[in-house]
Amino acid sequence: SCSRAKDVTMPAKLPVNFFSTRSPVIDLFRGQLDYADHLRQDSEIVLYFFYAPWCGQSIAAREEIEHVASRLSDQVLFVAVNCWWNQGKCRKQKHFFYFPVIHLYHRSFGPIEYKGPMSAVYIEKFVRRVMTPLLYISSRSKLLDFLSNYEPGVLGYFEFNASPQPPGYLTFFTSALHSLKKDYLGTIRFGVITDKRVAEEISLVHSGSVYLHRHVNTSLIYPNDIMNYTAENICKWALENREMLIRWLRPHGGKSLLLNNELKKGPALLIFIPYNPLAEIHPLLDEITKVALEYHNCNKSQAAEPDLQHLGDTDSPAFDSSVPDAHMKVSETFSLTKYPCCNTVVLPQWHSISRTHNVCELCINQTLGVKPNKVHVPHCNFLEIEAALDSFYLQERTFFQVISNTIECSNFLSFYSPFSYYTACCRTVNRHFLSFISSEKTIFQTPKVAFSSHGKKGNTQHSIPHIEDRNCFIPDLHITGTNITGLSCRTNKTLNLYLLDSNLFWIYAERLGASRSTHLKEFAAIVDLKEEVHYVLDQNRSLVGSTLENFIKNFSILYSPLKRHLVDDPSVHFHEQRVITEVTTNTFHDTVFLSEKNVLLLYYAQWCGFCASLNHIFIQLARLLPPDNFTVARIDTTRNDLPWEFMTDRLPTILFFPHQRKEQSVKFPEDFSVNLPNLLKFILHHSSLSSSEPCTKECLHKETVLQQGHISHLEREIQKLRSEISALHQAHGQLEAQLSEARREEHKLQQQKHALEKQHKTLQLHSERLQATHDQKNQELLEMAEKLQELADASENLLKENTLLRILVASREGRLQSKDEIKESVQSEQTVSEDNDVSVSTATATLEEKRIDNIDTIQTEHSSGNRTE
Amino acid sequence: GAAMLRWLGSLLCLWALRIPAGTGAAAPGLDVASYRERVRAMFYHAYEHYLESAFPYDELRPLTCDGQDTWGSFSLTLIDALDTLLILGNVSEFQRVVSVLQEGVDFDIDVNASVFETNIRVVGGLLSAHLLSKKAGVEVEVGWPCSGPLLRMAEEAARKLLPAFQTPTGMPYGTVNLLHGVNPGETPVTCTAGIGTFIVEFATLSHLTGDPVFEDVARKALKALWKNRSDIGLVGNHIDVITAKWVAQDAGIGAGVDSYFEYLVKGAILLQDKELMSMFLEYNKAIKNYTKFDDWYLWVQMYKGTVSMPVFQSLEAYWPGLQSLIGDVDNAMRTFLNYYTVWKQFGGLPEFYNIPQGYTVDKREGYPLRPELIESAMYLYRATRDPTLLELGRDAVESIEKISKVECGFATIKDLRDHRLDNRMESFFLAETVKYLYLLFDPDNFIHNDGSVFDVVITPYGECVLNAGGYVFNTEAHPIDPAALHCCRKRKEEQWEVEDLMREFYSLKKNKKFTLKRASDHGEGERAKDPEDAPSEKGGEKRNFKKSSHSLLSCPSQSFNSKLAVLGQVFLDNT
Repeated sequence: SCSRAKDVTMPAKLPVNFFSTRSPVIDLFRGQLDYADHLRQDSEIVLYFFYAPWCGQSIAAREEIEHVASRLSDQVLFVAVNCWWNQGKCRKQKHFFYFPVIHLYHRSFGPIEYKGPMSAVYIEKFVRRVMTPLLYISSRSKLLDFLSNYEPGVLGYFEFNASPQPPGYLTFFTSALHSLKKDYLGTIRFGVITDKRVAEEISLVHSGSVYLHRHVNTSLIYPNDIMNYTAENICKWALENREMLIRWLRPHGGKSLLLNNELKKGPALLIFIPYNPLAEIHPLLDEITKVALEYHNCNKSQAAEPDLQHLGDTDSPAFDSSVPDAHMKVSETFSLTKYPCCNTVVLPQWHSISRTHNVCELCINQTLGVKPNKVHVPHCNFLEIEAALDSFYLQERTFFQVISNTIECSNFLSFYSPFSYYTACCRTVNRHFLSFISSEKTIFQTPKVAFSSHGKKGNTQHSIPHIEDRNCFIPDLHITGTNITGLSCRTNKTLNLYLLDSNLFWIYAERLGASRSTHLKEFAAIVDLKEEVHYVLDQNRSLVGSTLENFIKNFSILYSPLKRHLVDDPSVHFHEQRVITEVTTNTFHDTVFLSEKNVLLLYYAQWCGFCASLNHIFIQLARLLPPDNFTVARIDTTRNDLPWEFMTDRLPTILFFPHQRKEQSVKFPEDFSVNLPNLLKFILHHSSLSSSEPCTKECLHKETVLQQGHISHLEREIQKLRSEISALHQAHGQLEAQLSEARREEHKLQQQKHALEKQHKTLQLHSERLQATHDQKNQELLEMAEKLQELADASENLLKENTLLRILVASREGRLQSKDEIKESVQSEQTVSEDNDVSVSTATATLEEKRIDNIDTIQTEHSSGNRTE
Repeated sequence: GAAMLRWLGSLLCLWALRIPAGTGAAAPGLDVASYRERVRAMFYHAYEHYLESAFPYDELRPLTCDGQDTWGSFSLTLIDALDTLLILGNVSEFQRVVSVLQEGVDFDIDVNASVFETNIRVVGGLLSAHLLSKKAGVEVEVGWPCSGPLLRMAEEAARKLLPAFQTPTGMPYGTVNLLHGVNPGETPVTCTAGIGTFIVEFATLSHLTGDPVFEDVARKALKALWKNRSDIGLVGNHIDVITAKWVAQDAGIGAGVDSYFEYLVKGAILLQDKELMSMFLEYNKAIKNYTKFDDWYLWVQMYKGTVSMPVFQSLEAYWPGLQSLIGDVDNAMRTFLNYYTVWKQFGGLPEFYNIPQGYTVDKREGYPLRPELIESAMYLYRATRDPTLLELGRDAVESIEKISKVECGFATIKDLRDHRLDNRMESFFLAETVKYLYLLFDPDNFIHNDGSVFDVVITPYGECVLNAGGYVFNTEAHPIDPAALHCCRKRKEEQWEVEDLMREFYSLKKNKKFTLKRASDHGEGERAKDPEDAPSEKGGEKRNFKKSSHSLLSCPSQSFNSKLAVLGQVFLDNT
């Protein structure tokens, strides 16, 4: 049975339903690809979901597909095909390297592979775009909407009055579908204009012309004369010539160099926002787009302006003002914003117990379309400041909770004018500072800026809230001196702008230091791969266009006030009872430099095998060293960034910071093995203080303290030794027990041995006896054999004699008979007797042989019988 | 050469084509706890059926619901699964099995056993169970961890293997009879891994029992391999242990060689041994030079370095995990992502995968539920916390449950092309595959202890800190506590020195001369023998080794871009 079972195999289980039978998705779980193709005839839009039933990603995507199907089932046919089942048609015809694969068909056009995120909203958006690849641009405002979008747009103008199917329209439609195949490279939107007047807005006159809109560079018209008018070509042309002012990064999850390639182009601003592709409006995205356009708007091209206006004030009824006018106004405004008006504001104390105050610089900052007469005033109008304060208090509740030593800035829109916003930069000061508020120059020790003299003096109000004299400036306010428009061309630190959906890629934000606790998943960071630094936009401030602008400006100016962001491990909590102090970015300085102890600091990473196997040595060390004078600490460098000067390039690294000479840290030499004696010697060597001066009272005191430490150490040692002794006693007891057990066993064994020996002897005797009987039997047998032989011989003789006698008798009888016969017969009788003689002798010979055989077998039977005995 | 070039060309093309075709972005938020529970259920489904239908045989046959002896007759699955029980938190069953094993397992049997398999599964399993037994609430002897019934069993099993090492080269035979020693006429050809996969278990044994013979034979075998590497620094697949001639000259990182490299690194970590590490680093250089193409590792001729098989083997998937242990996380992740695509294609890793053809290799289409890729995922998840690694775990759970779960356990996949099943469940399924999966989904498991908690044990040799993390897994996933190696005889010698030094801390007038002298000569005494041992057969090597600017026993810090190297994103080394 064993060999049979070895060959037992079992074919794969038969496929079963992957989607529930109630699902709006048709589930061809036997891989009936032919039927799937057949189904396609009946529906305009079809989505195929090719899956493998064992595939985790297919299982995860199943729900999403079902969700989309439930929303679109009346317009789209959803077909799932098991493309793994090896008897199925699908498996035989298609060769996929991964699952699931999603293919879409728009009538006969397809397949369009969906390569976006496996999330219902994204899939639905994509399906909808396959359903209507062309947007219908019916009016001027729709046109402006279309053009102001951050994603590149292609417009076709087709005159439908002349014919129901104008020439080239189908090709244009197909190219829109075609672009969806390349959608993972970046979305291009396609629109169609049918109204001549609308087409004229973008100077399209001929039906059939195709237009690629660009914000910064001049827009293009498809060159019919150079390139053939085909769907592929239009798509290719748009892809090659499009403008990417800001683009989405959507890593697909497989191995990819996307971030590598993008970030190596230079410093990048990564903006994380929660994005719902199905939402009608994206206010935050519009705001970011505005900043991006401004940032790239180098030559203030005509084309850029209408979009800006449209984005900036969608509510403004004044839009109809002519384009050139707006352009003039804008450029004028930009030059003026260099002179904002600012005032210092002391905020009311939120909690009366608090010993701190927030001090803010409040500035009125106008960018677009501001009434020029007001901006020209070099100092602040009191009313305006009050208006600003109102807005400020209503909107920036966050500032009251912030208690920090850093300066934080925020921008917010004015309630009164859609064209201006305010900038407030705040920091917290202790109350006793506030009492010297009249000389608050000491609070902000920052260089004055040139335009500070424009500030309005004598506006100090001592009621709270009050506006303080603004002689001193907070560094962040430098930014107002820089202009965002076209900044990308003026700075040598040009940023590339990227968007990431924080619903999908928040992990990147977290790794750049975004707070894990926040509910609002908005975050912005500038990553400079080459310099290996990144800067983070303060998460306490809401992510709006103005804060982004300031962030970009701060990055771009020569002496950037931005500080390299150090990511800190938030999961570490201080444990008093831990023998090894866990240091983080935030506690590094306090633990290492401010503590009154010698500090031994281990740089480690959990994943590094060489670090983890040293844990026990450091624990022993920490338990040994006198805790009053020494701290054994460690820092996980994977989760905690440190200032450059404290970084290390190998792990583990052991640094010793001697007390009172913390700046003279020493590194444990790498060529020595890390063990307890070596570490102790290392510490001893470097913590030795020069004690050459004569012993004073203090020194005596020190000595007693030390001695006391020593005593307690020795007491601990004694405790340890006691427990060691008790362990030894126990072990001794155990051994004793084992020994007596062993002795008992030995005794038993001895007894057993004796018994065995006795048995052995009797056995030997027995065997001797047996041997003797055996010999005897053998002897007897031999004798018997001899006797038998004799008997045989005797019987042989007897036989011979017998025959002789018979012959004799016969001859006698013959003679007696022949007495009467004729004498001639005598000759013949002689021959007969000779014959008889011969046959008798042969008969005796065979008889002899048989007998010998018999004896042999008897003998062997005997001996074997002996053995068995 | 031409063939190789052409082949390389197709390889690169293939990748250029395949990279953009990834499957959508990672679904955010994977329910780790529910997957952990599913892994636990997998374990018990297989374990209970083994006990019911197969014990005391070595393995369960899941299709016929019975048992068979495969690698000896040691109730192998039970020994192998023992520490997994503890990792799953089942203390009572652990205790029960310990007593069952103590009574039931006998190594005085007339069985021809693989030296390698017996070491990694039986000796390794018993050692780790011994070291974990206190944590599992087993009543231990006073001398623990330096004595104990499981340790004695491990030692006994290991002693049965020692006769195999009695060869002119010191490299062991592949098979030994547990009762009679090496059989006359035994083949002298052993695979490289069968020679170099002893140091973790044998050094642990020597440190715990005080008998140096185990560590000595293991080291001698390692050195013999090192001495016989080719001029370009590679080792082949099989060698004659009598004549030291290479019989199979394919060099790679997979089958036949794999755990040799693994044990050089793990030995170096466990024993803080620079010599072992310097050997590995030399090999690593040669492997990168000759076998690495586009983050795949191929098979090459060990003397010429020409590609002999453009194949990825399921067994090679341990490599990224090993790389992460020494800090080469970026490369590890890139290779891992390559391997992961193969899993996505088949729902498992075929024993051989032809890289340029993108398909399985004839007669090598099976997947016996091996752990290697999951093992790497667990190590890499420690280093990167990349959710992609959890996704591999998710895929593994879904695949194994969907494809190989049968009434009586989990069956080996005989052919990944059609998912036909075979009547076997190897003991490593419970020892490794399930263990690594569970650990991937259980970041708070005691095995992942980063040193923030520990146990103090009083032994007759003094006080001892144990269970402070840093467990070194043997190649059968049996964890060894590195602290335990410093617990027994060696500890005593150190103690007096430490006590003398401690006295210095409490004297105000430090005997400066004494301290300085001690400080300047520290390490010299004990490392003095090191340069001698260091690999120095080839000229100049010794100097290079000494010159290296950093300690060999260290990892590089992670680069800045590692912050963003998650969800499949990889970065090229130089800017």
